[in-house]
Amino acid sequence: MSRSTLLVFRHSPYGSSLARAGLDLALAAGAFEQPVSVLFTGAGVLQLLQEQDTGSLGDRNYGKNLSSLPLYGLESLYVDEVALSRHGLSKTALPDAYSPVDLQFMQHLLATHDHLVGF
Amino acid sequence: MKYALVVLDSPSSGTASATAARFAEALISRGHELSQVFFFDAGADTGLSSRVAMQGELDTVGLWRSVAATHGVELVVCVASALRRGVIDVTEAQRHEKPGSTLDEAFSIGGLGRLVEASAEADRLVTFGGRSS
Amino acid sequence: MVLHTVSAGPGLADCLALAAPDDALLLLGDGVYSAMSGSDTAAALEASGLPLYALGQDVLAAGVSAYLLASVTVVDFDAFVALTEAFSRQLNWP
Repeated sequence: MSRSTLLVFRHSPYGSSLARAGLDLALAAGAFEQPVSVLFTGAGVLQLLQEQDTGSLGDRNYGKNLSSLPLYGLESLYVDEVALSRHGLSKTALPDAYSPVDLQFMQHLLATHDHLVGF
Repeated sequence: MKYALVVLDSPSSGTASATAARFAEALISRGHELSQVFFFDAGADTGLSSRVAMQGELDTVGLWRSVAATHGVELVVCVASALRRGVIDVTEAQRHEKPGSTLDEAFSIGGLGRLVEASAEADRLVTFGGRSS
Repeated sequence: MVLHTVSAGPGLADCLALAAPDDALLLLGDGVYSAMSGSDTAAALEASGLPLYALGQDVLAAGVSAYLLASVTVVDFDAFVALTEAFSRQLNWP
């Protein structure tokens, strides 16, 4: 038995532990070969900033972890293009495997996955 | 139908966890099966054995203990979240040279694979909480 | 058909931006304050056109029964479960 899951990431990476929790679940689902997609919306798009440097903070670099998701078999990675621009970010600055998507596509994602979990 | 629940909030942060426990009772009353409740991220705090409920206050962990005791539902605390929050069983306490186990006996510790497995088989996956605290 | 559960103010705007016409919204916890008549959030809720629900336990605790939009249906836990039966997916908005 298998069911597809869409994870909706809404928080920035270091202000709470939710981003890390969502990422860990995405990786676990990938490892168990369960169909999983990830949608970044709201402040979640800030997880994709490429210039993250956690040397001074002394924490793991979340942005680097995100760039390596495709290596773990996760390819359905979507970013709300309206949220990007509302947060002052450009579509062109996204890591390769991440696709900017519009509202219609996002609603389609919600409608076509069996389970939805928000982080 | 088969349900699986995910709890992301600590019982000390708002009402999401208590609401989840009451939802659990209600779904069982309506004849559904509750395969597992997975306590993840701040939700892992729920398994802390040293909590003391105050008279007259919402006893969220008490609600969960009742769900487990009355209906035999498995309450699984995510190991990675648990370690970070000091919710450790005997094995982990020894491994990390901590004074002792802090895992409440109504709960068990498990990896994210438990959640992945439960969702793969559930007709409904319902998530509670997720406030950034 | 998604049941969106909103438990705080900040999640509401993101939720409404994404919700589809055949979805529904259930307000939980602090989310119940969003449906107070005359508030900015209430205007957004009404404009969404979505069926609106609020959890009785939280409405009573907050003391907002008399303030809620007329279009909000207050539900108990049994009805909450029934909503999850009718809506095949639920999404939590933290």
